Amino acid sequence: MNPQDMKPQRDPWYRSKTFKRFRRNPLAIVGSLLLLGFVIVAFMAPAITAPQLASISSARPCLRDLGVKRNEAVSALRNPLNPVFWKATLAPPQSCYNIPRDGFSPLPKPPSKKHPMGVSGGGYDVMYGLVWGTRTAFYVGFLVVGISLTIGIIIGGISGFIGGRTDNLIMRIIDVMLSFPRLVFVMIISVIFGSGLTTVMLAMALVGWAGYARFFRGDILRTKAQEFVDAARALGASPLRVFSKHVFPNAIGTLLILASMDVGSIVLAASGLSFLGLGAPVGYADWGQMISFARGYILGSAQGTPFDYWYVWVYPSMMLVLFGLAWNLLGDAVRDALDPKS
Amino acid sequence: MTTFIVRRLLQLPVVLFAISLLIFGMMQFLTPEQRAATYAKTEQQAQHLDAIIRQYNLDKGFIVQYSTWLKEVLHGNLGFSKQSHEPVLDTIRKRLPVSTELAIFMFFPTLAFGIWMGTLAAIHRDKLIDQFVRVFAIAGWSLPTFVLGIWLLAVLYGYLHCCGIGRADDRYLVEFAQGTLRRYTGMITIDGLLNGRLDVTLSGLKHLVLPVLTYTVVASAQIMRVLRSSMLDVLNSDYVRTARAKGLPERVVNLKHARRNAIIPIVTIAGLMFAFMLEGVFFIEIIFNIPGLGQWSVPAAVQLDFPAVIGIALLTGLVVSVANLIVDILYGIIDPRISFQ
Repeated sequence: MNPQDMKPQRDPWYRSKTFKRFRRNPLAIVGSLLLLGFVIVAFMAPAITAPQLASISSARPCLRDLGVKRNEAVSALRNPLNPVFWKATLAPPQSCYNIPRDGFSPLPKPPSKKHPMGVSGGGYDVMYGLVWGTRTAFYVGFLVVGISLTIGIIIGGISGFIGGRTDNLIMRIIDVMLSFPRLVFVMIISVIFGSGLTTVMLAMALVGWAGYARFFRGDILRTKAQEFVDAARALGASPLRVFSKHVFPNAIGTLLILASMDVGSIVLAASGLSFLGLGAPVGYADWGQMISFARGYILGSAQGTPFDYWYVWVYPSMMLVLFGLAWNLLGDAVRDALDPKS
Repeated sequence: MTTFIVRRLLQLPVVLFAISLLIFGMMQFLTPEQRAATYAKTEQQAQHLDAIIRQYNLDKGFIVQYSTWLKEVLHGNLGFSKQSHEPVLDTIRKRLPVSTELAIFMFFPTLAFGIWMGTLAAIHRDKLIDQFVRVFAIAGWSLPTFVLGIWLLAVLYGYLHCCGIGRADDRYLVEFAQGTLRRYTGMITIDGLLNGRLDVTLSGLKHLVLPVLTYTVVASAQIMRVLRSSMLDVLNSDYVRTARAKGLPERVVNLKHARRNAIIPIVTIAGLMFAFMLEGVFFIEIIFNIPGLGQWSVPAAVQLDFPAVIGIALLTGLVVSVANLIVDILYGIIDPRISFQ
């Protein structure tokens, strides 16, 4: 008999019950559409902000690094046949993440034709920050989740598969890590290594693995107790083979899905740190950083009304909340689909 | 039970030792000169860092350094904070009651609201109230504390002139500063009562409305979710059906039979909430201008004032370990099935 025939017939993922449950959830559709919107904005960032890049003189470093002249910027950045379009879209230089400044006036300027969403104190174009901030958000979210997931899988795998004393020790460490506030940890790291977006991401990854490790360990233990693992062992498979061929692939799925839904909350947390001044520096395209002076604008406006400079902080905070909402709607639907009982 | 508590208490020093070692280990990334700045109070002392390095063994091996540092910490010498221009311990002593008061007032409404809504959602599953709780929970998850704080600051305080920020009305703070009002605990609401001045307490409460409101919306979501799902589990169990079959009123079944048991996971969550709450307290202090630990230590971290940050880290380690201990013991009291072996 052909060994291929012995494999049990498995439905593809898009026909599975889990996916059907997910698809029927209206909240999941709303979340997916919102997220799709953010992906498009992030992808098209150079094309969307091309007029600002062309008209604001302090955007010059970005254009120089892209190798495009100012008067050609708009047509080049919006033309998919031009190689500059792809360079700007796929691998923009770091200088493009600095919000271009139109003048240095400490007072914000309301929306105008040149600046559709206004200018914040210090001359930073709000719309530019929002659009490029979408890229920063995805970057921070995926990188932090990716790193902490990798560490979590390694440590949780060791803990669950070896068991015994090692397991016990690792679990105690995880308990301590989970109960230690992330903010204090970030504060320690930034005092030692200096604050900045990289420090924040490093610190969040160093804290974030603990939850994944604990979850993965649980799934490994559950998988290890199943009969097919006993069968593999009885057939004489080595522990390494049992782990890599039988336990690991069966235990990892749920973790990967649930972890990918954490991108939203990671971005919210990171922007909170930028808000406090521990993350991205002033002028960097990061939503949290853009709101960091909101308190001053609300309490200290000349006329004494809190909404004088609303465009400076309402837009970035809306972006943050919508981004979090998109991921949470999606995550909620995914969790429901995986565990229909709750 | 007693053996468990004793054994758990004995574990506490071990955990604290590990935390202190971890924090000290991280400090090793700094140069001896930087660490000597911890103990320099004046410009003059900062000129003679060598003397400080020698005095505190900062140029010796790890173990000697660690034991010198630990001895100083245990004697209350946490160093000198540039941010507050005074020893770290003095600042902590002044600001801890402020943060504690805020945390206490934030904790209970959040817990109560979360449990209440979670119960309602489970009892009326798939009804309107359940949908509302669901949407509220997702919205709460998606609203970071600082964003909601800023919105409420603009709308409720800035526009509607409600409630007020800071700790209390200025005239009461002046009275505290002048000594007409005595400072017993450092918590305004309690000090007001101890001074026999209800107006002071009321002013303190008024200024707590915005922080508590912000935090309750953001943080009760998790409690709602957990309570709803554990309540649904319990409502489907046999003994609840038995209770119903006996003809007990629905209310008694729901509250006495179901919720009592559904609440157990909340104890774990409430323990974890502690760590989460500290973050919330820090953000809220900064947004609503409350002179607690966060309003001092976060700018301190930005200014690289590391004695302040190390002090906060040690304090957090202590608070978190003790909180975990309390949660463990509470767990045993609430659920006798959990054995302490």
